[in-house]
Amino acid sequence: MPEFSRRAALMQLGAAGLAAMTPGAAISQNPFASFDAKPWAFLTPDEARFLAALSDVLIPQDAFPSASQAGVVDFIDLQLAGPYGKGADLYLQGPFGEATPEQGYQAPYPPATLIREGIARFEASGTRLADLDASGREDVARRLSEGEGVDLGDVPAQTLFDEIWSLVKEGYFADPIYGGNKDYAGWRMVGFPGAHAYYTDFIGRNAPYRAPPRGIAHVPGRSRSASPARGRPAAPIHPATEEG
Amino acid sequence: MVTELPKTDVVIVGAGWTGLAAAKELADAGQRCVVIERGDWRHDATSFGAPEEHDELKYARRKGHMIDTPIKTLSFRNTSDQTARPIRRLGSFLPGKGLGGAGIHWNGQLWRPLESDLSMRSHYTERYGAAVLEGTNVQDWGVSYDELEPHLDFFDRVCGTAGVAGNLNGEIREGGNPFEGPRSADYPNPPMTPSPPLQRFRDTARAMGYHPFQMPSANVTRAYENPYGAQLHPCTYCGFCERFGCGYFAKADPIICIYDVVKDHENFELRMNSHVLRVETSADGKTATGVRYIDARGREVFQPADTVCLNAYALWNVHLMLVSGLGTPYDPKTGQGTVGRNYAYQTMAAVSVFFDEEVWSNPFMGAGALGMTIDDFNGDNFDHTGLGFVGGGYISANQTNGRPINYQPTPPGTPSWGAEWKRAVRENYLHHVSLACHGSSVAVPQNHLDLDPTYVDDFGQPLLRMTFDFPENDRKMSAYVLSKAEEIARNMDNVRAVGTSNNAAEGQGYSVVPYQTTHNTGGAVIGTDPATSVVNRYGQMWDHHNVFVFGACLFPQNLGYNPTGPLMGLAYWTLEHMKTDYLANPRPLMDA
Amino acid sequence: MRNFRKTAVVLLSLGMGFGVALQAQDFAGGLGNAELERRLGVESVLFNATIKDAPDDDMIELGRLVAMGGAENGGSGMACITCHGVEGHGDGSGAFPRLDGQAGWYLYKQLNDYASGARPNRVMSGIAERLTEPEREAVSAYYAALPAGTFDTARGRIDGTLLQWGGQLAAVGSAEKGIPACVNCHGPQGTGLPPSVPYLAGQYAGYMELQLTLWQDGVRDNDAMNVMEAIARKMSEEDIRAVSEYYARVANPAEMEAIPARELDAPGAQ
Repeated sequence: MPEFSRRAALMQLGAAGLAAMTPGAAISQNPFASFDAKPWAFLTPDEARFLAALSDVLIPQDAFPSASQAGVVDFIDLQLAGPYGKGADLYLQGPFGEATPEQGYQAPYPPATLIREGIARFEASGTRLADLDASGREDVARRLSEGEGVDLGDVPAQTLFDEIWSLVKEGYFADPIYGGNKDYAGWRMVGFPGAHAYYTDFIGRNAPYRAPPRGIAHVPGRSRSASPARGRPAAPIHPATEEG
Repeated sequence: MVTELPKTDVVIVGAGWTGLAAAKELADAGQRCVVIERGDWRHDATSFGAPEEHDELKYARRKGHMIDTPIKTLSFRNTSDQTARPIRRLGSFLPGKGLGGAGIHWNGQLWRPLESDLSMRSHYTERYGAAVLEGTNVQDWGVSYDELEPHLDFFDRVCGTAGVAGNLNGEIREGGNPFEGPRSADYPNPPMTPSPPLQRFRDTARAMGYHPFQMPSANVTRAYENPYGAQLHPCTYCGFCERFGCGYFAKADPIICIYDVVKDHENFELRMNSHVLRVETSADGKTATGVRYIDARGREVFQPADTVCLNAYALWNVHLMLVSGLGTPYDPKTGQGTVGRNYAYQTMAAVSVFFDEEVWSNPFMGAGALGMTIDDFNGDNFDHTGLGFVGGGYISANQTNGRPINYQPTPPGTPSWGAEWKRAVRENYLHHVSLACHGSSVAVPQNHLDLDPTYVDDFGQPLLRMTFDFPENDRKMSAYVLSKAEEIARNMDNVRAVGTSNNAAEGQGYSVVPYQTTHNTGGAVIGTDPATSVVNRYGQMWDHHNVFVFGACLFPQNLGYNPTGPLMGLAYWTLEHMKTDYLANPRPLMDA
Repeated sequence: MRNFRKTAVVLLSLGMGFGVALQAQDFAGGLGNAELERRLGVESVLFNATIKDAPDDDMIELGRLVAMGGAENGGSGMACITCHGVEGHGDGSGAFPRLDGQAGWYLYKQLNDYASGARPNRVMSGIAERLTEPEREAVSAYYAALPAGTFDTARGRIDGTLLQWGGQLAAVGSAEKGIPACVNCHGPQGTGLPPSVPYLAGQYAGYMELQLTLWQDGVRDNDAMNVMEAIARKMSEEDIRAVSEYYARVANPAEMEAIPARELDAPGAQ
């Protein structure tokens, strides 16, 4: 299998991976389906596996797709390859030194480097997140979020976690033009109708408003947005129809 | 090599609300105005149209309309014994960039100060005794409500503000805010349409004996022509207000309300992508001679002017004074000096109200100033005897947006990620509203602004350094107002859970990470005593009579309201005195 | 499966009578029940056609009947299809807009406004007044459920520069004139933002020009907060013509939607 196959990256999550976290529900949708034939813009396959495993702890599959199923890893890949990853919104001049949590982001790296270094140092200990079972993954997520029991050198564990969790939420809920929120997975989950908005006639009414979501690059008459991975539509989720 | 340009009458630093208002008023008065703006040219029609503008990632998360921290930021610490670190990424507050400034991405919550707010020291001293203000730098503004009223009213008309007057020439009116000072005229437009959660808040608050009214809104409610002849359109409740520009011409902003009607004026010139480095002063130091800036092509330029107006964001005005040597920097150790003194913020807390399935909030329908408010616990609208604090805040059920990356309401006790979190977001997204407690902030000696000794901006100038933590007074005030808001929430029908949060909770330091408000105030305050103010009551610098200062940096302490209304009232007050008095005979308008 | 009854049965049961010719038109041009049912299985079509409650078979059937001139109060004496066509295609005279696939709630509101006089129109007021509330809802849902067809609504050649200006107004408006872009409110590529905002893409230029002129003159003012009057007043005659001719040439891409032959049991799956 070619190195850039995103499907290949998913498959290496293994049986102890996603399937184990959602007992009874098989993996039905390739998390990287939209981009499968495209090389990663920034991530290595190992980094993608780490991020898929972690993001699916944060947003697991239920009646709605998991983070990676909704394209969150594709989203993160594009973000880290772009201005955000390079630190376009960060003042990065030194000196860097002791700081309080109230002083915010003080890591000496832009996000792309922070995440690359963070994952490398975590996995250098010999533990690969994707190889852990569900409770092992949850435990890692909790320790990262609390910044305890994880030594990543000058990458603060909590900063790493916050950055990834922020990206995961963005990938799940941002407009699909950025590669995540595939087929409006996140918007459908909460009931957000999207970028086309005109509510003058309805603001005062106490009633549901079930407009199908429409994004910035919505293709009229369809339930999809144009996305960076224009191409074949993703298959709908049919739980328990396939074996992972 | 500095290029010196021909002299102009007035140079204006910054093309936001106050800068463009100054340009319009002074150009009409025959003054040749040059406006210098660091950001890009843009326009509501061509730059802020839906659906492209409705991009939460680009504008709300990556902050596309905000100042770029690699170019300009400030450093921060809670207390003077800490080492300040740069605010590397914007968080707690969001200064803007580009034509229209932060006036483009505001919400449009348009307030005016209470009469007692403007004379805070004398008012509290008279009612409760001077001891209640001990340990604070609270002081009077030096300008009264009656003096500001015509200018507050004019700005309501510029924006087409929507609301119901609660006090019309002394007559208290149903549906308005009964605590406000007398208005000379009603709002130019009717109030916004309240959403179901706002209706419930109104009914409950009223039943509890409070006085709910619709928040005054610069999200216009019908087609409207302002006094300058600009045309505004009604709001669509699209839910993309704060952090976004409005492509509907519905949120009053400096571009459609002022720029469009001054752009072709023969006395008006706008220079974009030009970054002012400093204000130059004369040899005797008594006047300013103009400003030095880096133009769009990277050349250093000197623009001489008879009059200099500082109309940058509150923090940048103070920065410009400090790097230019205007006025005397404040020293918290000695209490001497005034520039950087009395920096204050806004004390924000909130109640999260979770409804059952009977109440559909549909939070994606909203507007920046769609709120149902009570003012019963703001300012000195309630008896402070024995409470141990001064000031207060309004409590408002606000429905501003349901943008899903940021808007993920979960009841208390929900884990912050994972399956339970996901289920809670899904179940509550359409059935939730927040009650904001928007509180005042007293000035205290230790909170201040000065220059950072270590860090520099992209132009090699020292960063502004902010030393700030919530004063004990404000922590008590916030807890008190929050408890009142929580009580209302618990009395509302169809409520299945109530949560609270408080940025100024006891035991936690002010943090620059979570967004709170872009209501940074003080640092160059207005007053009648040069020992405690940077500018006199006309907004004119005590030390340099041809420098006029605009914006929230003038506030001696922060009131319980959003600053745009009060600061625009001050701006038109200053401009009136420039036009009718100063320009014909430039001199100090008050004796020091 | 929904159980659609034959039109004729409904006609008989309601005791309505109307010309044989009209009945013939129904099956000559309109969509069959099965096709309408398939369409309503698609989330976006269903939302477009929903006014109060999701339309059921009976409502669509009643809508079809009203369109053909049958109604409880004896109808208006004029069937919708006489002018708007059984497929809702209208014509290019300027008086008869396309209704096919138009936002249902919008159509319903127009009928109510015609009836109340909020939208003055001698012909339509007379027609709408004689329809009951459920009939207005049903006929609106019926037309909303039809596919927006792609056909030539433009009227001949036009200067390219004018057309380009129309496209610019549609997409980004005019900073100079203070005109917000049409696409702000009228949905992706002007294909409508149901329930309340109609599509412009593929609408007749003559109709759109007339409506903008009516707004400009203050004759029509029945949209929410009358925003269209404020916008139209900022437009010149040329602006109005440009944007109308432009939209007449935009294919209504709703027709791109491939209504699936299968998978009808999964609403929203396309």
